[in-house]
Parts: sequence; structure tokens; C-alpha cells
Amino acid sequence: MGNVGIVIVSHSPDVARGTADMVRQMVGEEVPLAWCGGASEGGLGSSVEAIAAAIDRAWSEKGVAILVDLGGAELNSEMAVELLPHERRGKVVVCNAPIVEGAVIAATEASGGASLDEVRRTAEELSPA
Amino acid sequence: MLTHAVGLHARPSVKLTKLAKTFGASIEFGLSGSGPWIDAKSIVKVMATKVPQNSTLHFRATGQDAGAAVQALIDLVERDFDEGAMNGEA
Amino acid sequence: MDITEATRRALIERVAGSVILHADELTSLDQAIGDGDHGINMKRGFEAVLTDLDRLAAMPLPEALQAVGMTLVMKIGGASGPLYGTLFMELGKSLPDVPGFADVTIAFEAAIAAVKRRGKSDAGCKTMLDVLIPVLETLKSGQPGSAGRLPAVAAAAAEATRPMKAVRGRASFLGDRSIGHVDPGARSSALMISAICKTLEAAA
Repeated sequence: MGNVGIVIVSHSPDVARGTADMVRQMVGEEVPLAWCGGASEGGLGSSVEAIAAAIDRAWSEKGVAILVDLGGAELNSEMAVELLPHERRGKVVVCNAPIVEGAVIAATEASGGASLDEVRRTAEELSPA
Repeated sequence: MLTHAVGLHARPSVKLTKLAKTFGASIEFGLSGSGPWIDAKSIVKVMATKVPQNSTLHFRATGQDAGAAVQALIDLVERDFDEGAMNGEA
Repeated sequence: MDITEATRRALIERVAGSVILHADELTSLDQAIGDGDHGINMKRGFEAVLTDLDRLAAMPLPEALQAVGMTLVMKIGGASGPLYGTLFMELGKSLPDVPGFADVTIAFEAAIAAVKRRGKSDAGCKTMLDVLIPVLETLKSGQPGSAGRLPAVAAAAAEATRPMKAVRGRASFLGDRSIGHVDPGARSSALMISAICKTLEAAA
């Protein structure tokens, strides 16, 4: 069944790519990983289409955890999840965690074969209650 | 003895946690032989411990593969997390 | 009220036109308390809607609203994309092909509830909801001529966000410094309400 996938969504493509690099270097190759950043026509922002495509690239039957930076990235990610085909929708979560630390920690947890719920809970341990 | 240049920082923490997770035993470590004990499989707790350089890590484990787990973790620390060569580089 | 294809076309043109016309104003409002992209994002979204005008106007009203919402979700890019997208899509889901006054009120209430859920927000947080909710209250009051008062209600409600302190969205990072500026989302909502009401009035 593989490991839970990780999707990184930032307003900035550079931040998203850099975060993904950190995950790859610190955690390794065993976690499906995809990133997207920036508005559909360039500049800072987030695009539902790009998020949906990233979910697809990082897809795992065990599910996908999304890490986001600021408000628009979160709302667009939630929107992208809702627009997924029904059978996938329940297997994707947006984590309430800081993007860089959350991505590394979620990927570490995922690399050990944890469930989507465990991955999310571990990433969210970082957030102030 | 933890000789890693920056102490048990993010990347070594990830390696330690990932290795611990490969064992069935429950594994803890502490900065002294009497605790407090930290769950070595919890990446958040391992990172939050902020183990400084030159600390001595104590491991304890319970479960079927406890002996192998402790040995593997000690080896990892003694190998300087396989990244000694990276220390001191820009 | 039968909203004909010509009226649907006029609604799309007027709403999109008003947002595009005021894009610079929306951007300058957002530069004060947000990240300065509201105008350009909304303009991009509604320009995309206009390129599809013929197809959208030919659709039955509920489908047209859902298609507009989807275009806004895909093209706006910022937080406004999912928020306005949700508003239009939910209106489309709730309205019948030929809505009466009561249908509009019910659909608008459902759409506002969906925006609240999407934005995890409510009245008084210095957002678009601070325009949409007073407009809904006016509709629900059902007093004669209440529909004609909506543009004024919306404009006053947008202006009333000026002394508010933002607690949702990017502006919330500013805390007290968000006070003294009209919320850009409230302003864009008021522009749309005004364009819709004036178009329907002219068509009636």
C-alpha cells in the first residue's frame, strides 16, 4: 500500500520547492512527495488546479497530507480536496501545522508506514493548541 | 557521546526517529541514565528535546527486538549519523 | 422572476465589469491591510468569466452560477477564489431555474453559510461577510422596496468595516493596525450586490 503522500502548498514556488528539497534530503525517497506554489499566471498565490495536480502526483492509497503556508493556500487546498473524486476525498487532509517543520515531521512519520491520521496528528503536535 | 556539531538537530533527529520506528520495541532515550525519558519514535518530542552537542545519550527499550534496537541506535550515534563529513562545511 | 438569457448576460457583464473597473481601488484597499493582490486577482477571475460569456449566459441560471463559481475558484488564486467561488457555486446549487423572491433569500442564506464555513468566519470579522449578512437581513425583513435599498445597504455595510479590527485573513496579522481601512472583500462584495440589483431592476 506504500506510505502516505505529502503535498506542499506555498504562495511561493521557491518556498514550496525548498521545503520539498528539505523533506527529500532529511527524510529520503520513500514518501510520495509533490509541491506547488504561485498563482496560475505567475506571481505569489495558490492555484486549485495546481494543488489538485500535486495531490495526483503524490497520490497514495494510504492517503495524502497537505502542508500549507498562509490563508489562501489553506482555503485553496480545502477547495481542491472538495473537488476531488468522491473516492479520494476522504483520503486527503490539510494539516494545521507550520509548512516547513510540518512537512519534515509529517514525512518522517509517513516514512515509518504511519496512517494518514497518525501523520496528521504528529504534524499538528507542533501547532499551539 | 553525541559529537554531532550542532547537537541532535533536525536532520539527526529525523534519522534517529526513522531508525527507532523500524523496531517493534518501545524505545526511549534520556540525557542521563535516570531520565527523563523521551519516546525515540516521536519526531516532535525528539526535536523538542534539543539535545546539545557533547551530550551522552542513554537508550532503553522494551520488547522483542529491544537489544537490537538499542545497539542500532548506539551505532547510529557513534557513526555521527552518517554525516560527519558534512560538518563544518559551508 | 424569470431571468432570461439576455438578463443573465447583462448580470455577468455588469458584475464582472464593475469588479474590473474598480480593480485598482480594490488593490489599494488591499495594500493597506492585506497583500495587495485583491484587485488584480478579482480582475483575473472575472476576465476569465467574461471570456466564457456566451456559453455562461446560455446556461440555466443555477448551472451558470456554478460555472462562474468554478471559474473564480480556478482563476482568482488568492483566498478570494475559494470564498467567492463557494458563494456562487452554493447559490447555483440552491436556486431553482426560475426563482421567486423567497427562493433568492433562502439560496443567499445557504450561500452565506457556506462562505462562513469555508472562511471559518462570521459577522464582525472585517470580511465580505460584513456586507453579505446585512444584505441578507434586509432581504429577510421583506419590507416593501427592500430589494431597491440593497445597493445602499451594501455600500454602507462595506464602509462600516472601516472601524473594525480584522480577525480573519491576512489583515488579522495587523491587529489594531487593520482599524481605519475598509475591507477589500467587503468592498468587492458591495460592488457585486450593487451591480446585480441595478441589472435586475433595469430588467424588471
